[in-house]
Amino acid sequence: MNGIRLPIELTAASVVTIAAILILPHVLELFALINATVYVSMAVLALSLALVWGFGGILCFGQATFFGLGGYAYAVAAINFGDTVYAVPVAIAVPALVAAALGYVMFYGRISDVYIGAITLTLTLILFNFVNSTSGDQWRIGAAPLGGFNGIPSTPPLNMPGDPGNPLPPEWIFAVAMLSLLICYIIAKLILRARFGRVIVAIRENERRAELLGYDVRAYKLGIFVIGGAMAGLSGLLFANCVFVSPTMFSLFYSGQIIVWVMVGGLSTLVGPVIGAILLNLLTTWAGTLPEINPSLILGAILALAVLVMPRGILPSLATVLGRFRGARGMT
Amino acid sequence: MTALLATEHLTMRFGGVVAVDDVSLAVADGELRCLIGPNGAGKSTLFKCLTGQIKPSAGRILWRGQDITGLNSFEIARLGVGIKTQVPSLFDGLTVLESVRLALRRQARERVARVQALATLERLGIVELAQHLVVLLAHGQRQLVELAMVVAPEPDLIILDEPTAGMSAEETTRAARVIRALNAAHTIIVVEHDMQFIRAIAKTVTVLHQGRVLIEDDVASVLADRRVQDVYLGKTDVSWQVVA
Ligand SMILES: Nc1ncnc2c1ncn2[C@@H]1O[C@H](COP(=O)(O)OP(=O)(O)OP(=O)(O)O)[C@@H](O)[C@H]1O
Ligand SMILES: [Mg+2]
Repeated sequence: MNGIRLPIELTAASVVTIAAILILPHVLELFALINATVYVSMAVLALSLALVWGFGGILCFGQATFFGLGGYAYAVAAINFGDTVYAVPVAIAVPALVAAALGYVMFYGRISDVYIGAITLTLTLILFNFVNSTSGDQWRIGAAPLGGFNGIPSTPPLNMPGDPGNPLPPEWIFAVAMLSLLICYIIAKLILRARFGRVIVAIRENERRAELLGYDVRAYKLGIFVIGGAMAGLSGLLFANCVFVSPTMFSLFYSGQIIVWVMVGGLSTLVGPVIGAILLNLLTTWAGTLPEINPSLILGAILALAVLVMPRGILPSLATVLGRFRGARGMT
Repeated sequence: MTALLATEHLTMRFGGVVAVDDVSLAVADGELRCLIGPNGAGKSTLFKCLTGQIKPSAGRILWRGQDITGLNSFEIARLGVGIKTQVPSLFDGLTVLESVRLALRRQARERVARVQALATLERLGIVELAQHLVVLLAHGQRQLVELAMVVAPEPDLIILDEPTAGMSAEETTRAARVIRALNAAHTIIVVEHDMQFIRAIAKTVTVLHQGRVLIEDDVASVLADRRVQDVYLGKTDVSWQVVA
């Protein structure tokens, strides 16, 4: 039965993506379009944690580490290379390699879940402090100054492939972001359907049993962690293309937010965290426009309400409600 | 003939407590061996050493004569060892069929694996549960699902930790029958606490006491042995008090 569902889900995702690319640039103001691109980059970030935490069972409190590293790797490589297209693989490879090194230490060192949360969180805070302290002129990588707490305001956007003097307009950047989200979703779907993904889910269900069946749990966890790191890096790249890179990318604010998006959207779903990220970002922006009310207060209240009303997240709750009417199965 | 699984002077210390003390035993191919002993005898600790969940403080574990001391659980499983834990260790969120399919780690072809998984469920009489979520099953069914996962890949050796824990006398007798039937195709080590059960199994028995091998013999001799009776009835000298 999954055999029929997968093509339907992938087709639906593709249709939504193409529709968004064709329609949104015409109906949104430039500023709103750039904001929408930021939200899409956040959706990719949410998807990365959905894989690592929701399916891999690895509670990574520091997914922002890879988001920030992706952004910085992109900015530094883009400034140095000139042709920013070549910075794309760097933005994905650097966080993936860091995830590989960190994951190796954590999983092969058999570090327990609680400490994994603490270590990943600590790493992002260390990077936050470190990058903040790189304001002097001696802190540069090639032609790129790291800029301390100011970040790198001169982060160049992607250019037409092979044409460094021709940066992509915002509509194109939006399209790139949407396509990236679609590709990440498809990759995630295929991973979960493949043998690798099924073992990952089994490990989440019962690590010891998976091990007693002969699976090298460490290798599987490392694998999903690296994939998640690479995806978060891509999201950092997209973010850098709409805003610019700065130490806040490593901040507690982002690391915490990602967890909330995944939780509110629905753990162990893929579409849920994507919706969660976009919805909560819209909400935050909207709350910011309200006069005389602290936006954090509104957001907090809505979060508390969401957790109370839909403890399993938006998507699973929606599926249950729909299921009551027409016996539909849960969606992912 | 080399034993399928053997230990040489196996010792496991936890601080001052010597949970397993200089245990040497050999289990031959095709054997059904019971490992029994009173509370705190060191059975679970020995089980954990044999299954790679803890590394012994001293001594060796041999598989067909090869030193496998210190291997991880998954490496021991890959040798062809099926392991059933005392409390069923299952994939609660998955279906019974998916669970057993995952146990067939080396079968890459999906269709073949499916057929094999269903055949295993058939063999254990729970094929009608194939599409059920494991979390929704009753206790007895859960035991059978775990057993299905253990036997599906046709392991050379099956190690069972207290398979009759929490069972009634009647269930214990039935479990003994299932285990004897499995023994037709697999070498089996059963770690047990229950005397009733070893009567029903009636094979070679190794009795552990305070981490040491007290006696190793056929079931009749073991049951007739005074020391074993003392240990189990508790009317023994001070040495069988729990070590503080
Ligand atoms: N992790 C540990 N740390 C310290 N002492 C331990 C540990 N595990 C076991 N022991 C001690 O080792 C001894 C043997 O324990 P073990 O659990 O192996 O006995 P057992 O034969 O399985 O008993 P039971 O029939 O009650 O399950 C006991 O004295 C126990 O307190
Ligand atoms: Mg025990």
